[in-house]
Order: sequence, then C-alpha cells, then structure tokens
Amino acid sequence: MSTMEMPREISTRRRTKDRAFSIALWACVVVALVPLLLIVYRVVRLGLAAVSISLFTHTALPASFPGGGMKQAFLGTAMIVGIAVLISIPLGVLTGIYLSEYGSGRVAGVVRFTAEILLSIPSIVAGAFIWALVVVALGNFSALAAGIALTVLMWPIMARATEEVLRLVPTELREGALALGYPRWRVIVRVVLPTAGAGVFTAIMLAVARGLGETAPVLLTALGNDFVNTNPLKPTDAVPLRVYNYAQSAYPAWRALAWGGALMLLVGVLVLSVTARMLSIRQQRRMR
Amino acid sequence: MATIGAPPEVAPATPLTRRRRFGDRAFRWTTLVVSVGLVVMLALLLWVLADGGWRAIREFGLHFVIGREWNPVAGREVYGALPFIFGTFVTAIIAMVLAMPVGVGVALFLNESGSVWIKNPLAVLVDLLAAIPSVVYGLWGLYVLVPLFDHTVQPWLSASVGKVPVIGGLFQYAGPGGDLFTAGVILAIMILPIVTAVSREVVSVVSTETREGAIALGATRYETIRLGVLPTARPGIVGAGMLGLGRALGETIAVALVVGNSTNISASLFKPGYTIPAVIANEFREATSAGLHRSALLFLALLLVVIALGMATMSRFLVRRTARLVGDDVAAQEEAASSTLGMA
Amino acid sequence: MRIHRFARPAVIAAAAVTLVAAACGNTSSSSASASGGSNTGGFQGTALNGAGSTFAAPLYQLWSQSFLQKEPDAQINYQAIGSGGGIEQFTSQTVDFGASDVPLQSDEITNLPSSNYIQFPTALGAVVFAYNLQGVDSGLKLDGKTTADIFLGNITKWNDPAITSQNPGVNLPDEPIQVVHRSDESGTTSVWTSWLSAESPEWSSKVGADKAVQWPVGTGGNGNEGVAAGISQTEGAAGYLSYDFAVTAGLGIADIQAPDGSYVAPSIDSISKAGGGLKFPIQSDTNILNSSTKGAYPVASTTYVLVYTDQTDEAKAQTLVDFWTWALTDGQSQTEQINYSPLPSDFATSALKEVSKITVNGTPVSPTSSTG
Repeated sequence: MSTMEMPREISTRRRTKDRAFSIALWACVVVALVPLLLIVYRVVRLGLAAVSISLFTHTALPASFPGGGMKQAFLGTAMIVGIAVLISIPLGVLTGIYLSEYGSGRVAGVVRFTAEILLSIPSIVAGAFIWALVVVALGNFSALAAGIALTVLMWPIMARATEEVLRLVPTELREGALALGYPRWRVIVRVVLPTAGAGVFTAIMLAVARGLGETAPVLLTALGNDFVNTNPLKPTDAVPLRVYNYAQSAYPAWRALAWGGALMLLVGVLVLSVTARMLSIRQQRRMR
Repeated sequence: MATIGAPPEVAPATPLTRRRRFGDRAFRWTTLVVSVGLVVMLALLLWVLADGGWRAIREFGLHFVIGREWNPVAGREVYGALPFIFGTFVTAIIAMVLAMPVGVGVALFLNESGSVWIKNPLAVLVDLLAAIPSVVYGLWGLYVLVPLFDHTVQPWLSASVGKVPVIGGLFQYAGPGGDLFTAGVILAIMILPIVTAVSREVVSVVSTETREGAIALGATRYETIRLGVLPTARPGIVGAGMLGLGRALGETIAVALVVGNSTNISASLFKPGYTIPAVIANEFREATSAGLHRSALLFLALLLVVIALGMATMSRFLVRRTARLVGDDVAAQEEAASSTLGMA
Repeated sequence: MRIHRFARPAVIAAAAVTLVAAACGNTSSSSASASGGSNTGGFQGTALNGAGSTFAAPLYQLWSQSFLQKEPDAQINYQAIGSGGGIEQFTSQTVDFGASDVPLQSDEITNLPSSNYIQFPTALGAVVFAYNLQGVDSGLKLDGKTTADIFLGNITKWNDPAITSQNPGVNLPDEPIQVVHRSDESGTTSVWTSWLSAESPEWSSKVGADKAVQWPVGTGGNGNEGVAAGISQTEGAAGYLSYDFAVTAGLGIADIQAPDGSYVAPSIDSISKAGGGLKFPIQSDTNILNSSTKGAYPVASTTYVLVYTDQTDEAKAQTLVDFWTWALTDGQSQTEQINYSPLPSDFATSALKEVSKITVNGTPVSPTSSTG
C-alpha cells in the first residue's frame, strides 16, 4: 500500500501491531462490502424472475388475477419525479448561482447553511409538511403534492451541487468575459453555466436518483392508485410505494412483483449515480 | 489551464447603460429571492409542524415525552411517545456502534491505499450502498435479514452473550419477527457510506500534514494514524458520526418493515420495538384531525426534524473545525461541502 | 435564452415522459366519453377513489375489476389503508367512499362535516385465529377464554394444558406461540377484540375492544396482509386475520367454540348463518358476534361502506350508485369465489335502499339500467 520506508530499528512488537492494524482495515472493507453484494445478488436474482415486459405493460390486478404488472407505478413515478424536476431544477440552479456568484455575504452564509443541513432532513418529515400544506389545501392526495414533497428533498441537493460545480469554473474565465464588457448576468448565464454544464447535469442526476427511490414522502401525499393516472391533481401510484405495499402482502404473486420493482429501482438509481460520478470525474479533469 | 474552446458567440460589448445595470440587478435579485426562498421553506416547514403539533403538546405536556401509553382510539386518546423515542435512539445507537468502526476503518483504508485499482472501485462500491433506496433495504431486510437473524444469529447471541450478567439482558432471544436489533443492523448498513465519506475527507485533510512529520520520526503506519492522524481528526470523525446518526434517526421505510411495530419497551434488543419515523409512516393516513392523533404525529415529526437538523449543524461545525485545525480554512469549507454533497 | 446545455435536454425529457404518460393514460382515461367497451353507448363511468378496510380489500378490488366490464371508464381505485384510515379520509373528504369493518362510533359521527351520509353493509366475512404450526392442520379447537389468554400472554406455549385439553390426539409441540397483531387502526382488530372482551373478563378490563389497543404481547403487521405475511413467515406464529386472507395464505385455521359449546369452523356456510343477526338501521354497536343460530361461526362480521348522499359531481354520483347497486346484486355472486359470504338477501335489499338515497345537486340518482 503506502510507500513509506520503515527504518530498520522497528521492534517486532510495533511491527506486529502495524500488521494487525492493516488486517483490521481489510476486515472493515470486507464487512462493508458483504451487505452490498448480498443485497444486489438477492434483488437481481428474485427481481429478474419477476421482470418481464408485462411488468411495464400491465397495470395492477388483484392477487387472484394472473398477469398483473406495475405499469401505473412506473408512469406515476415518471410524473411525480417529472414534476419535482421541473420545480427543483430552476430553484436549485438559481440558488446555486446565487451562492457561487454572489455568495460572500451574511445572507449567502445563512442560505448555504440552510441548504447544507436540509440535506439531512428526514424524508417522512417532508411528506408530513407537504401533506399539511398541499393535500389539505387541495382536498385530496395528488401527484403534484408528491412532486412538491420530493422538491423539498431535491432543492438543497441541486443548490449545493450547482454551487460546487460553478465554483470550479476558473475565475479567469469570468474576469476575461467581464473585461470584454459583458454584463455580469450574461457572464454567468452564457459563460460560467455552459462551462459547468456537464456538472449541472450531474447534479440533476444525483437529485433525480434521490427522488426516484423515496417512499415516505410519496406515502403521505399520493395515496397510490391501481390504475394509470394522468391528472397531476389526483391520487397517483409510484414504484417505491407499490413495492412497499406489495412487500408487506401475503400473496406470492405480489411479492414477486415487489422484487421486480425493487430491481428496477436499483437499476435506475445505480445507472444515474454511476453516470453522475463518471461525468463529474470528467468535468473535474476538464477544470483542473 | 482549462480548455473550453472558443467563447460563445454573444453580441459585441455595450457600454454600462442603465439597461445593462438593470439586467444585472434583476438577475441578482432573482437568484437572491429564490435562495432566500429556501430558508423560508425551512422556516415554513418548522412552523407548519409546530402549528399542527402544539395541541397535542398542550394537552399532554411533559407526559408526551415520558409517557409509555400510546392509544389513538377516539374517546380514549392517550399519547405518550416514550416507546418511539426509546426505539429511535436504541436503533440509532446500534447503528452507530456497528457503522462507526467499520466506516472509519474503510475511510482509513481508502486513504492509505496507494493503489488506484483498489481505491477507486472500492469508493464507488461504498457510494453504491448510499444510492440504494430505502424500500429496497427494507424488502431485503424483511425477507433475508429477519429470517437469518431469527433462526441463526439471535439464538446464538442469546445463548452466548445472553448469559453474561448485566449486559446479557440485552440479548435475550424473543422469537421470530422484526426487532430493534435487526433494525439497528439495517441502519448501520445504510449509514455506513456517509460515515465513510465524511471520515475520508477529514482524514485525508489531516494526514498529509502529519504523515511527513511522523515518517521523519520513524513511526509505523499504525502509529502515524493512531497518534498523529486520529487525534487531530477526531472532531471531524465525530462530525461524521453525527451526520450518520442524523440519517439513522430519520430513516423510515426500511425500519418500518423490520422493527416489529410494537409499543412495548423492554430490555432485550431482540424484542420488537418502534421508532418515531416508523409510527408516523404507519399511522399518519388514519390519524384523525379532529382528535389529537394527527397533532401528536405532527409534533413527533417536529421533534424528529429538530433533532436531525441539530445533528447536521453540529456535524458541520465539527468537520470544519478539524480542517481548520489543520490550518487551511478554504480547503476546510470545500472539503466539508463536497463530502456532505457526495452523500446526497 | 440558453441557460445551460444539459438542463434543457433534461427538461425536455421530463416533459416528454409526462406526455408519454398522458398518451398511455388516455387509452384508459377517465373521461365520460364513449371509448367502446362492452357497454353499448351507455354511461361509461368515471374514476373513483376509495380507501379503508384491508379486510374488504380483496373483495372490492375484485369487484372493481369486474365492474370495468360494465362501465369501462369506471376505474375504481381502492387503497387498503385500514378501517381507521377509511373513516379519516371519508371525514376529510379526500376520497369518494370510505370502507370500515366497524360502524361509525359516536365521536366519529360528530366529527363528520355533514350528517348526510349512508352506511351500508356489503358482504359478510369472518375473523379467524390463524396459525403456522408444522404438523398441525386446520381445525385446532379453541374457546374464547383460551384465545384471550394467548393474546394476553398468559398462555405462551402451544402444548399448554388449556389448549391440549380441547384437542386430544393433536400433537402440539413444546414451542412458544409467536403472537402477531395489527399495527394500524383496524376494523378487524375491533371485531376480534370485541369478541375477546365478551369471552374474557380479564381481557375486557386489561385491554378492551377497539380499532387499536395496547397489545400485551406480539409483533405488529400492517393490514391483514401484514399479519398474514408475519404469520406465514414464522414457524409457531399465530394471530387474528380475516378469513379470506387466512385461506389464501394457506394458514391453519382454528375452530372456535360457539355459545352453545360446539366448535365451529369458519366457512362460507357457517359465516352466512351468522348473518341472520344483522339488524337495520346500522348502529354504533351493530355486530354479528356469537350468533345464536346453530352452526354459525362466532366471530363473523360484516363490512361497511360510507358515502355522502349530497354529491355534486354527476359522473361520480352515477358511478357510485351504479357500482354499489351492482355490488349488492350481481356482485354478491362473486363473493364466495374469494371466501367471503354474500349478504342475506333481505339485508342486501335494505342496503340497496340506502344507496338509493344518494343525490346529486338535490336530485336522486337512479342506477343506469343494465345493458349487458
């Protein structure tokens, strides 16, 4: 591992301790990886058995009917996350711009602090908050309420990630553009943002990956639906919600579908996370 | 020097006209208003929960927090949240006890490892643990971990550690089904990535400084870390722990599926229990708004968010403190920021 | 104005997905226009939302699927969140109908925003003692007191004398009984604990009867399905469950002692016999427990639907009337295939009378005449 040279006078006891320590670190790594492998293996094995085209083309059926699927859940998640993205991206990017480009005062400090601690907000609390605000106001459960609940979680992520990425854009670029006489806002919008473009996209992917898998906020705001729903103001289904319900059911057919849905969630979230990471590494390399 | 290609095509520069200044001001104000909106949202959240929850706390006062009976039925309402507070902290502590050593160990490993072939894939894998949705953890926990613990681990622990006086009482096998211990283990797996990531950032900032000194003094790697890195990094590692603790306290779905949903408080960790997020998830949709049930749940939500945000604040302070101890303020802020972000 | 390169594709993608969702959804949209079902040009129905009892969920979901043949646009979305949830959502008017296994209690009635509502039974079912014990099939005999003692934690082992004395010849192991109960507010719980309270003074004073109680022992499951799952996953587990869930999960089902001393196994027949005890109008304490009819299962129950009579949406009101009228007539023949019992015919008639009270903007709604 390290290339540290050891002086020859190290006693056996000290060397043994060092060796034991290395082994302990390796053990930690193994312990950390075992659950990941177990989970992925189990979800893939049981999920693949349940994944067929009918998972996506059939809607939910009572357990006594064969051939049910989760079509309404996939479409519902798309609508809910779509709403959350439409709201949280502009909000998050604008906040990130503020923190990065204008962010040296006390106000910015408070905003930055808020964004950072909001990263740790329990998702059930976001659900309860939006229930009290939106569900009560509208008079029924809805995809819109669920989307707003996800926004509560995704906005801080977008804000902090955008700030990070914008900060990486070299100041020389800004100064150069300003020296050429462009107004400040144009510099930001036309020079800084495009340069950081891939990074912002990465931020969006991270936020979406988070929103995709959240069950608790959707549980309290969307009610769930056995049918496809296209009206954002009506109860809607979502994949994590459907998996949560089916997981607790007593019917093997529904439980199998739960594993299928879990696998799709896993795939979706992993693809987004890995892509985001790869894009971010490339982006950082461009910047440095 | 970054290569960005040709600058984008824009109109030729114009003198500092009033229109331009207006454009600048309008843009700046827009971003400012939106950003302040984030703070307003947090304030609104706290207010909405407090507004919804104050009726319950007014009715029950301190008894809400120390009472053990939770009965939501109309006409006989009693709300004592101690079982949930107890369960939340017990599962979080179990998670911390298991995740902290492993997380810091992995962080040290990642930091010490010179080989890119091991370090990068390992870091990616640990991050993947963070990406797994809670419901997937719950599903796996319910059908794999619970039976495994019920049939193998818990009976064995009960027969061995369970016989030890005093602490043995914690490990009395109580039969199959969900329990606090299983919930704690699932939580440990779930908070491991965040503990690792933050610890890693902290340790990397510290160790470059102390390493060279230690090498000069002839220390082994173990000694360097134990005597040089860890003491300086300790505030930051505690901060990593607090962030992990905050996450463990707020985790809902995975816990709801494996914790056993029982409002009894008992000594054994292998008995079913309940946590604040789990009871909110289970009871929220049936809670009446006319009685005090909904109010009680909203107050619990307020309690939960205050604790979680408090942990996050402390963590932020501690992580930055470590970096500042090392002497680099700007780097401190950046490290702290990117580490918490990496876990988003 | 170009904001940033990658946000636009993301926004377009999100919009595209939503449009695709809308397009897919339009093939089964909730508009009342004719979309060509087996219903030739008549009222096509509209989407409804209902929530509540998990006990009734399999039945309502089956009915909902079947009713699509009659009115193809009548997508009746029923979410099983427990009787307590059904009553709450009905009270806050976030659903079109609520479902509960227990009639509204006086406090709940006072909380309703309107006194213009109907409450009618839809089918009969039963709560059974279900267990997962290797080598012991269905038919374990239990009386009320023994059952109460199990749930009190007084009896902890399967081979307890109280159980073995009622079951000579059955090989009961020396294993602990893992009790499973509900963790949500449940009508099933209310029925079960009402019966336990009637059978055991100790239960009545220590725990009582209600939709949620402080369980002395056991783990909690969400909904009937959660309890079924909990019992079927654990050897030696037992709990109370609605009859159809116990049969579907393949669990052992106990014979319960009736007031006359005989042990009655739950079946569609023995449940139907208990239905004779149902009395109209529905009161807070209406129940069909411990029926005096010979051969009736003691822990039978019915399940209720709650609807406001002063509706304002024509399509919804019509769909409500059509659906529940169908459910109380043709739908009753489907109950047995999933282990529920139909309502005695005179009660179905009384229930239909309640449904006829539904009005829209003051005008009573009559069911669409069947076209096939």
